[in-house]
Amino acid sequence: MSFVKLAPTDFVVSNDGVTAPAWTTGNPTLTSPTPSSLTAPVYVDMYASGTTTTQYSIAYGHISGSAALLYNGLVPSQSATRTIYSQFRNLVYADENSSFNFGSGNTASVDIYAININRQCYKESLFPGTFNLRLNNGGTIVNLTNDSNDATTVTYTDAGRVFNLVTGSNGSRATAADKSGATGSYGMFLPDVGLIILNPRALAAPSAQGGIGLVPTKALAGDWGNTAEYNAGKLASVLAFSGSSFTLNSYETISSDYAFVRVPNNQFNYTTNPSIISGSGALLFSTMINSPQTYMTTVGLYNDNQELLAVAKLSKPLVKDFTKEALIQVKLNW
Amino acid sequence: MGYLNGTSVVVDAILTKKGRELLARNDGSFRITQFALADDEVDYTLYNPNHPSGSAFYGEAIEKMPVLEAFPDDTQIMKYKLITLPRGTAKIPVLNVGYTEIKLKQGASLAITPQTLNYLGASSTFEQSGYIATIGDVRTMSSFKGVGINTPAVNNLNSTTTVGTVVSQTVIGTTINLSATTVNTLFGSNTTLKTTLTIVGRDSGARISVPVTITKTNV
Repeated sequence: MSFVKLAPTDFVVSNDGVTAPAWTTGNPTLTSPTPSSLTAPVYVDMYASGTTTTQYSIAYGHISGSAALLYNGLVPSQSATRTIYSQFRNLVYADENSSFNFGSGNTASVDIYAININRQCYKESLFPGTFNLRLNNGGTIVNLTNDSNDATTVTYTDAGRVFNLVTGSNGSRATAADKSGATGSYGMFLPDVGLIILNPRALAAPSAQGGIGLVPTKALAGDWGNTAEYNAGKLASVLAFSGSSFTLNSYETISSDYAFVRVPNNQFNYTTNPSIISGSGALLFSTMINSPQTYMTTVGLYNDNQELLAVAKLSKPLVKDFTKEALIQVKLNW
Repeated sequence: MGYLNGTSVVVDAILTKKGRELLARNDGSFRITQFALADDEVDYTLYNPNHPSGSAFYGEAIEKMPVLEAFPDDTQIMKYKLITLPRGTAKIPVLNVGYTEIKLKQGASLAITPQTLNYLGASSTFEQSGYIATIGDVRTMSSFKGVGINTPAVNNLNSTTTVGTVVSQTVIGTTINLSATTVNTLFGSNTTLKTTLTIVGRDSGARISVPVTITKTNV
């Protein structure tokens, strides 16, 4: 007999949360990323400096399709910025008639910046309390975080949890009453879909009002037009500026299946290893007839058809004889 | 006074190629229900019953061996299984298939009926649960079947088709029927194809590996 059935009680499932730097550099803070292009018509990929590995993407959306060329000159208002606005509106609100609501001062925003974190970077979700975004627009600086530490209740959208973007650090606002006023909040932090929505009106405000003077072109009523303005590229150049930085950790749940392999004293004391027998099958050492010893190195996990599904190696050979028992905990990560 | 070692060893497992294949198949065949132990890389000739320091040191050279990482190829690991036999056993079960090497011409067939020697007090026996036969590269066979064991699980395994490039196939039976491929394209510019047939006794754990050579005959 070489196979032993595992009982249902021999299996234990464990779920452990693991946080790690979001960026592929291994550093939680990303500085001086390289934009793929500052004149991309739809979105700009941001690479880790010196690489072409996308860390996140920036898009600009407009409710009426302003600030981008029309797909077809015969069809009004159908442009990349309208597509982007509609895409994220549907994702966040699941309502094609909603507008982005950044609170008092901008309850129906006509435009948005969307920062999509690359899936391989955020893994399962963004870890809210680690988010710090420092925007430096030519010396005008704002430090943004989310209000995850201050929020007494968590608000949910159709895209999962949502937190407000505020000035501060590490999930805590800098002052009790953060700016909102004339322009609304700085935006939304949606950790479950790896998405950050920025309020262009808040960023467009002058420094005295908490903004950085980053004004998207052809955004406001009366100035709309279907010319290529590359507003996503303008935010990308701010993020690529040496004084800007982006700090973020990912969160992932690792599900582990533990199988407890129990080796009783009276089992597995002989081996089919050919080095222990002669050609006829006789043991090479007479001392092993009554006091056999084996040295296990490998645990194989099988299905009912005795097909080898998973395998684990011990760190060193484990001696086994009629006086020894072993309990081996085999960990399977999914 | 010192600290006692923990009572359990924790080791990380990896999926084998077969495990990934069954996981991808998503038909419930990926379900761990049993385990086996092996000592693949151990060379028991290092065991020294004449060690000058006494019996506690007979296995010193084996115990100091650094263990290799696990291989994902399920045909190359868990080869030599630890088995349970009555105390006082002097001979270990071994398999006999009647061949040390299998040579088949293109399209030719062969039936193999393995026997187990030195098992359960018999010098030669056919194992009641049959034998697991694995062909290393199923493309070399136009037919590879196990017959003689008719449980639902075995019938299910034997009727499963494996597709892909250089994928092993496993069947169970008391007799294993092989038919060499008739396809010329596999040969390329070669005149032979080589693979390995591995047979394991389901009751005894005894194992034998036989090289298989297919010779091209079609022009």
